[in-house]
Amino acid sequence: MSALAYTLAIFILLTAIATALFRDVLSAIVVFGAYSLGMAILYTFLLAPDVAMTEAAISAGVTTILLLLTISRTTRPSTDRIFERVNVPAVVVVGAFVTVLGTLVLPEMYAVGDQTAPIWGWPGLDISPSVYYLENTVADTHAHNAVSAVLASYRGFDTFGEAIVIFAAAIAVLIVLKREVFT
Amino acid sequence: MSRSETQSDTYSESHVILTSVRILAPFTLTYGLFLALHGTDTPGGSFQGGAIIGVTVLMLAFAFGIEPTRRWLKNSFITGLVTGGVVIFAATGLATIALGGAFLEFDAFTDAFGLSHHWGMEAIEVGGVALIVSGVVVTLFFAMAAGFTPERYNAVQEDGAEVSDDD
Repeated sequence: MSALAYTLAIFILLTAIATALFRDVLSAIVVFGAYSLGMAILYTFLLAPDVAMTEAAISAGVTTILLLLTISRTTRPSTDRIFERVNVPAVVVVGAFVTVLGTLVLPEMYAVGDQTAPIWGWPGLDISPSVYYLENTVADTHAHNAVSAVLASYRGFDTFGEAIVIFAAAIAVLIVLKREVFT
Repeated sequence: MSRSETQSDTYSESHVILTSVRILAPFTLTYGLFLALHGTDTPGGSFQGGAIIGVTVLMLAFAFGIEPTRRWLKNSFITGLVTGGVVIFAATGLATIALGGAFLEFDAFTDAFGLSHHWGMEAIEVGGVALIVSGVVVTLFFAMAAGFTPERYNAVQEDGAEVSDDD
Protein backbone atom coordinates (compact mmCIF):
# COMPACT_ATOMS: atom_id res chain seq x y z
CA MET A 1 0.00 0.00 0.00
CA SER A 2 1.33 3.37 -0.94
CA ALA A 3 1.57 6.45 1.23
CA LEU A 4 -1.52 7.76 -0.55
CA ALA A 5 -3.52 4.73 0.52
CA TYR A 6 -2.42 5.20 4.13
CA THR A 7 -3.40 8.86 4.01
CA LEU A 8 -6.77 7.78 2.64
CA ALA A 9 -7.20 5.24 5.44
CA ILE A 10 -6.49 7.92 8.05
CA PHE A 11 -8.97 10.24 6.31
CA ILE A 12 -11.62 7.49 6.40
CA LEU A 13 -10.96 6.85 10.08
CA LEU A 14 -11.23 10.55 10.95
CA THR A 15 -14.45 11.04 8.97
CA ALA A 16 -15.94 7.92 10.56
CA ILE A 17 -15.18 9.23 14.06
CA ALA A 18 -16.46 12.70 13.11
CA THR A 19 -19.71 11.16 11.81
CA ALA A 20 -20.27 9.52 15.16
CA LEU A 21 -19.31 12.57 17.19
CA PHE A 22 -20.97 15.50 15.41
CA ARG A 23 -24.02 16.71 17.28
CA ASP A 24 -25.50 18.47 14.27
CA VAL A 25 -27.11 15.83 12.05
CA LEU A 26 -26.53 17.84 8.87
CA SER A 27 -22.79 17.99 9.58
CA ALA A 28 -22.77 14.27 10.32
CA ILE A 29 -24.45 13.51 6.98
CA VAL A 30 -22.00 15.67 5.04
CA VAL A 31 -19.01 14.06 6.75
CA PHE A 32 -20.56 10.64 6.14
CA GLY A 33 -20.67 11.46 2.42
CA ALA A 34 -16.96 12.28 2.56
CA TYR A 35 -16.38 8.97 4.35
CA SER A 36 -18.18 7.07 1.57
CA LEU A 37 -16.17 8.85 -1.09
CA GLY A 38 -12.95 7.94 0.74
CA MET A 39 -14.08 4.31 0.90
CA ALA A 40 -14.83 4.38 -2.84
CA ILE A 41 -11.31 5.59 -3.63
CA LEU A 42 -9.84 3.01 -1.25
CA TYR A 43 -11.69 0.24 -3.13
CA THR A 44 -9.93 1.28 -6.33
CA PHE A 45 -6.61 0.86 -4.49
CA LEU A 46 -7.79 -2.64 -3.60
CA LEU A 47 -8.42 -3.30 -7.33
CA ALA A 48 -12.21 -3.48 -6.97
CA PRO A 49 -13.50 -0.81 -9.39
CA ASP A 50 -16.99 -2.34 -9.51
CA VAL A 51 -17.40 -2.02 -5.76
CA ALA A 52 -15.89 1.47 -5.86
CA MET A 53 -18.47 2.65 -8.41
CA THR A 54 -21.30 1.20 -6.37
CA GLU A 55 -19.99 2.82 -3.20
CA ALA A 56 -19.63 6.20 -4.91
CA ALA A 57 -23.05 6.12 -6.57
CA ILE A 58 -25.15 4.54 -3.83
CA SER A 59 -23.44 5.46 -0.56
CA ALA A 60 -21.97 8.85 -1.37
CA GLY A 61 -24.77 9.90 -3.72
CA VAL A 62 -28.17 8.34 -3.17
CA THR A 63 -27.88 7.66 0.57
CA THR A 64 -26.70 11.19 1.29
CA ILE A 65 -29.60 12.66 -0.67
CA LEU A 66 -32.15 10.41 1.05
CA LEU A 67 -30.74 11.27 4.48
CA LEU A 68 -30.83 14.99 3.65
CA LEU A 69 -34.46 14.68 2.56
CA THR A 70 -35.27 12.86 5.76
CA ILE A 71 -33.74 15.41 8.12
CA SER A 72 -35.45 18.23 6.23
CA ARG A 73 -38.63 16.98 7.92
CA THR A 74 -37.20 16.94 11.41
CA THR A 75 -36.42 19.74 13.80
CA ARG A 76 -32.87 20.72 14.43
CA PRO A 77 -31.86 20.51 18.08
CA SER A 78 -30.59 23.79 19.46
CA THR A 79 -26.88 23.19 19.53
CA ASP A 80 -24.42 24.96 21.73
CA ARG A 81 -21.88 22.16 21.47
CA ILE A 82 -20.25 20.92 18.28
CA PHE A 83 -19.70 17.36 19.42
CA GLU A 84 -22.00 14.84 21.01
CA ARG A 85 -21.33 13.89 24.60
CA VAL A 86 -19.34 10.65 24.65
CA ASN A 87 -20.89 7.63 26.32
CA VAL A 88 -17.91 6.20 28.21
CA PRO A 89 -19.18 2.60 28.81
CA ALA A 90 -20.10 2.28 25.11
CA VAL A 91 -16.67 3.54 24.09
CA VAL A 92 -15.00 1.04 26.42
CA VAL A 93 -17.02 -1.89 25.01
CA VAL A 94 -16.49 -0.89 21.38
CA GLY A 95 -12.83 -0.12 22.05
CA ALA A 96 -12.29 -3.57 23.58
CA PHE A 97 -14.00 -5.17 20.58
CA VAL A 98 -11.83 -3.25 18.12
CA THR A 99 -8.68 -4.07 20.11
CA VAL A 100 -9.46 -7.78 20.08
CA LEU A 101 -10.20 -7.68 16.35
CA GLY A 102 -7.07 -5.67 15.61
CA THR A 103 -4.65 -7.76 17.66
CA LEU A 104 -6.05 -11.27 17.18
CA VAL A 105 -7.99 -11.41 13.92
CA LEU A 106 -6.31 -8.87 11.65
CA PRO A 107 -2.78 -10.42 11.76
CA GLU A 108 -4.27 -13.77 10.71
CA MET A 109 -5.76 -12.37 7.51
CA TYR A 110 -4.05 -12.92 4.17
CA ALA A 111 -2.39 -10.02 2.42
CA VAL A 112 -4.11 -8.55 -0.64
CA GLY A 113 -3.21 -10.77 -3.61
CA ASP A 114 -1.58 -13.49 -1.49
CA GLN A 115 -1.34 -16.60 -3.68
CA THR A 116 -1.60 -18.95 -0.69
CA ALA A 117 -5.02 -17.62 0.32
CA PRO A 118 -7.78 -20.27 0.31
CA ILE A 119 -9.61 -18.46 -2.49
CA TRP A 120 -6.93 -19.73 -4.90
CA GLY A 121 -7.68 -23.30 -3.99
CA TRP A 122 -7.13 -25.65 -1.10
CA PRO A 123 -5.95 -29.27 -0.68
CA GLY A 124 -8.37 -31.81 -2.11
CA LEU A 125 -9.93 -29.35 -4.54
CA ASP A 126 -8.91 -29.63 -8.18
CA ILE A 127 -9.62 -26.04 -9.10
CA SER A 128 -11.07 -23.28 -6.97
CA PRO A 129 -14.22 -21.52 -8.19
CA SER A 130 -12.49 -18.15 -8.53
CA VAL A 131 -9.66 -19.60 -10.59
CA TYR A 132 -12.23 -21.38 -12.76
CA TYR A 133 -14.11 -18.13 -13.35
CA LEU A 134 -10.95 -16.20 -14.19
CA GLU A 135 -9.71 -18.86 -16.62
CA ASN A 136 -12.98 -19.74 -18.36
CA THR A 137 -15.04 -16.55 -18.40
CA VAL A 138 -14.11 -15.50 -21.92
CA ALA A 139 -14.51 -18.99 -23.36
CA ASP A 140 -17.81 -19.67 -21.59
CA THR A 141 -19.58 -16.33 -21.83
CA HIS A 142 -17.66 -14.20 -24.39
CA ALA A 143 -17.60 -11.42 -21.77
CA HIS A 144 -14.36 -9.82 -20.62
CA ASN A 145 -15.49 -8.61 -17.20
CA ALA A 146 -15.32 -11.66 -14.94
CA VAL A 147 -17.38 -9.93 -12.25
CA SER A 148 -20.25 -9.28 -14.66
CA ALA A 149 -19.96 -12.83 -15.97
CA VAL A 150 -20.29 -14.27 -12.46
CA LEU A 151 -23.22 -11.99 -11.63
CA ALA A 152 -25.17 -12.30 -14.86
CA SER A 153 -24.28 -15.74 -16.14
CA TYR A 154 -22.72 -18.19 -13.69
CA ARG A 155 -24.87 -16.97 -10.82
CA GLY A 156 -27.72 -15.43 -12.77
CA PHE A 157 -30.34 -17.04 -10.57
CA ASP A 158 -28.85 -15.31 -7.49
CA THR A 159 -28.97 -12.00 -9.34
CA PHE A 160 -32.61 -12.67 -10.20
CA GLY A 161 -33.29 -13.15 -6.49
CA GLU A 162 -31.51 -9.87 -5.67
CA ALA A 163 -33.49 -8.03 -8.32
CA ILE A 164 -36.71 -9.39 -6.84
CA VAL A 165 -35.57 -8.28 -3.37
CA ILE A 166 -34.97 -4.70 -4.58
CA PHE A 167 -38.31 -4.75 -6.39
CA ALA A 168 -40.12 -6.00 -3.28
CA ALA A 169 -38.38 -3.40 -1.09
CA ALA A 170 -39.47 -0.57 -3.40
CA ILE A 171 -43.05 -1.86 -3.45
CA ALA A 172 -43.04 -2.13 0.35
CA VAL A 173 -41.79 1.46 0.70
CA LEU A 174 -44.49 2.70 -1.66
CA ILE A 175 -47.18 0.84 0.26
CA VAL A 176 -45.95 2.14 3.62
CA LEU A 177 -45.75 5.73 2.35
CA LYS A 178 -48.96 5.52 0.36
CA ARG A 179 -50.70 8.05 2.57
CA GLU A 180 -48.11 10.58 1.48
CA VAL A 181 -48.27 12.16 -1.95
CA PHE A 182 -46.79 9.41 -4.14
CA THR A 183 -49.89 8.18 -5.96
CA MET B 1 -33.38 34.26 -0.26
CA SER B 2 -33.36 35.41 -3.84
CA ARG B 3 -36.10 32.99 -4.69
CA SER B 4 -38.78 34.92 -6.51
CA GLU B 5 -42.43 34.71 -5.56
CA THR B 6 -43.56 33.94 -9.08
CA GLN B 7 -41.49 30.79 -9.42
CA SER B 8 -43.80 28.44 -7.63
CA ASP B 9 -42.21 25.35 -9.14
CA THR B 10 -38.47 25.71 -8.93
CA TYR B 11 -37.25 26.00 -5.40
CA SER B 12 -33.56 25.95 -6.16
CA GLU B 13 -32.43 29.51 -5.65
CA SER B 14 -28.83 28.83 -6.53
CA HIS B 15 -27.54 29.59 -9.99
CA VAL B 16 -24.46 27.55 -9.19
CA ILE B 17 -26.54 24.40 -8.71
CA LEU B 18 -28.68 25.11 -11.76
CA THR B 19 -25.73 25.78 -14.05
CA SER B 20 -23.57 22.91 -12.85
CA VAL B 21 -26.43 20.43 -13.12
CA ARG B 22 -27.17 21.68 -16.65
CA ILE B 23 -23.57 21.02 -17.63
CA LEU B 24 -23.08 17.78 -15.69
CA ALA B 25 -26.36 15.96 -16.32
CA PRO B 26 -25.66 14.94 -19.96
CA PHE B 27 -22.28 13.56 -18.93
CA THR B 28 -23.56 11.57 -15.95
CA LEU B 29 -26.39 10.19 -18.06
CA THR B 30 -23.94 9.17 -20.79
CA TYR B 31 -21.59 7.63 -18.25
CA GLY B 32 -24.43 5.68 -16.65
CA LEU B 33 -25.58 4.39 -20.03
CA PHE B 34 -21.98 3.51 -20.92
CA LEU B 35 -21.53 1.54 -17.70
CA ALA B 36 -24.82 -0.29 -18.18
CA LEU B 37 -24.32 -1.08 -21.86
CA HIS B 38 -20.63 -1.92 -21.56
CA GLY B 39 -20.76 -3.76 -18.25
CA THR B 40 -19.85 -7.14 -19.71
CA ASP B 41 -16.51 -5.94 -21.04
CA THR B 42 -15.37 -3.09 -18.79
CA PRO B 43 -15.46 -2.44 -15.05
CA GLY B 44 -18.87 -1.44 -13.84
CA GLY B 45 -22.08 -3.01 -14.86
CA SER B 46 -25.78 -2.56 -14.97
CA PHE B 47 -26.16 -2.02 -11.21
CA GLN B 48 -23.67 0.84 -11.17
CA GLY B 49 -24.93 2.20 -14.48
CA GLY B 50 -28.54 2.05 -13.36
CA ALA B 51 -27.65 3.82 -10.10
CA ILE B 52 -25.89 6.63 -11.97
CA ILE B 53 -28.83 7.01 -14.39
CA GLY B 54 -31.11 7.25 -11.36
CA VAL B 55 -28.82 9.80 -9.70
CA THR B 56 -29.01 11.93 -12.85
CA VAL B 57 -32.76 12.24 -12.31
CA LEU B 58 -32.11 13.15 -8.67
CA MET B 59 -29.71 15.89 -9.80
CA LEU B 60 -32.34 17.26 -12.17
CA ALA B 61 -34.87 17.23 -9.35
CA PHE B 62 -32.51 19.14 -7.07
CA ALA B 63 -31.87 21.79 -9.71
CA PHE B 64 -35.27 22.18 -11.32
CA GLY B 65 -37.52 21.34 -8.39
CA ILE B 66 -38.83 18.02 -7.19
CA GLU B 67 -42.48 18.53 -8.12
CA PRO B 68 -41.84 19.55 -11.77
CA THR B 69 -39.51 16.57 -12.17
CA ARG B 70 -42.14 14.30 -10.66
CA ARG B 71 -44.75 15.63 -13.07
CA TRP B 72 -42.36 15.29 -16.00
CA LEU B 73 -41.50 11.68 -15.14
CA LYS B 74 -44.90 10.17 -14.49
CA ASN B 75 -45.05 7.99 -11.39
CA SER B 76 -46.64 5.26 -13.46
CA PHE B 77 -43.69 5.47 -15.86
CA ILE B 78 -41.18 4.91 -13.06
CA THR B 79 -43.06 2.02 -11.47
CA GLY B 80 -43.48 0.69 -15.01
CA LEU B 81 -39.69 0.78 -15.43
CA VAL B 82 -39.17 -1.28 -12.27
CA THR B 83 -41.89 -3.76 -13.08
CA GLY B 84 -40.76 -3.98 -16.70
CA GLY B 85 -37.24 -4.78 -15.54
CA VAL B 86 -38.49 -7.66 -13.42
CA VAL B 87 -40.68 -8.90 -16.27
CA ILE B 88 -37.81 -8.78 -18.81
CA PHE B 89 -35.49 -10.56 -16.38
CA ALA B 90 -38.03 -13.31 -15.67
CA ALA B 91 -39.03 -13.58 -19.33
CA THR B 92 -35.40 -14.10 -20.34
CA GLY B 93 -35.08 -16.88 -17.80
CA LEU B 94 -38.34 -18.50 -18.86
CA ALA B 95 -37.38 -18.21 -22.54
CA THR B 96 -34.26 -20.29 -21.93
CA ILE B 97 -36.46 -22.90 -20.22
CA ALA B 98 -38.86 -22.84 -23.17
CA LEU B 99 -35.90 -23.45 -25.50
CA GLY B 100 -34.91 -26.54 -23.54
CA GLY B 101 -32.24 -25.13 -21.23
CA ALA B 102 -32.18 -24.39 -17.53
CA PHE B 103 -33.32 -21.06 -16.02
CA LEU B 104 -31.03 -18.34 -17.49
CA GLU B 105 -28.93 -20.92 -19.34
CA PHE B 106 -28.05 -18.60 -22.20
CA ASP B 107 -26.49 -21.33 -24.29
CA ALA B 108 -30.06 -22.25 -25.22
CA PHE B 109 -30.17 -19.00 -27.23
CA THR B 110 -26.98 -20.03 -29.01
CA ASP B 111 -28.45 -23.38 -29.98
CA ALA B 112 -31.79 -21.94 -31.09
CA PHE B 113 -30.92 -18.61 -32.74
CA GLY B 114 -27.13 -18.61 -32.97
CA LEU B 115 -26.99 -15.69 -30.53
CA SER B 116 -23.81 -15.36 -28.51
CA HIS B 117 -23.99 -16.18 -24.80
CA HIS B 118 -22.99 -12.55 -24.31
CA TRP B 119 -26.39 -11.29 -25.51
CA GLY B 120 -28.30 -13.21 -22.89
CA MET B 121 -26.21 -11.48 -20.22
CA GLU B 122 -26.83 -8.12 -21.86
CA ALA B 123 -30.57 -8.81 -21.86
CA ILE B 124 -30.80 -9.34 -18.12
CA GLU B 125 -28.20 -6.67 -17.29
CA VAL B 126 -29.55 -3.84 -19.44
CA GLY B 127 -33.16 -4.90 -19.70
CA GLY B 128 -33.41 -6.21 -16.17
CA VAL B 129 -31.05 -4.95 -13.50
CA ALA B 130 -30.37 -1.47 -14.94
CA LEU B 131 -34.09 -0.69 -15.28
CA ILE B 132 -34.86 -2.02 -11.81
CA VAL B 133 -32.04 -0.16 -10.05
CA SER B 134 -32.57 3.19 -11.77
CA GLY B 135 -36.32 2.95 -11.25
CA VAL B 136 -35.98 2.03 -7.57
CA VAL B 137 -33.53 4.87 -6.89
CA VAL B 138 -35.92 7.40 -8.44
CA THR B 139 -38.94 5.80 -6.73
CA LEU B 140 -37.32 5.94 -3.29
CA PHE B 141 -36.31 9.56 -3.86
CA PHE B 142 -39.78 10.67 -4.91
CA ALA B 143 -41.41 8.69 -2.13
CA MET B 144 -39.13 10.34 0.44
CA ALA B 145 -39.47 13.75 -1.17
CA ALA B 146 -43.28 13.63 -1.22
CA GLY B 147 -44.52 16.64 0.69
CA PHE B 148 -41.25 18.50 0.25
CA THR B 149 -43.13 21.14 -1.70
CA PRO B 150 -42.14 24.73 -2.47
CA GLU B 151 -44.80 26.03 -0.05
CA ARG B 152 -43.32 23.96 2.69
CA TYR B 153 -39.87 25.18 1.77
CA ASN B 154 -41.08 28.78 2.08
CA ALA B 155 -42.54 28.13 5.47
CA VAL B 156 -39.26 26.72 6.67
CA GLN B 157 -37.35 29.67 5.28
CA GLU B 158 -39.59 32.39 6.66
CA ASP B 159 -39.81 31.07 10.17
CA GLY B 160 -36.07 31.04 10.42
CA ALA B 161 -36.29 28.24 12.89
CA GLU B 162 -37.54 24.91 11.68
CA VAL B 163 -41.19 24.04 11.68
CA SER B 164 -42.42 20.54 12.17
CA ASP B 165 -45.84 20.65 10.63
CA ASP B 166 -45.99 16.94 9.98
CA ASP B 167 -49.35 15.39 10.59
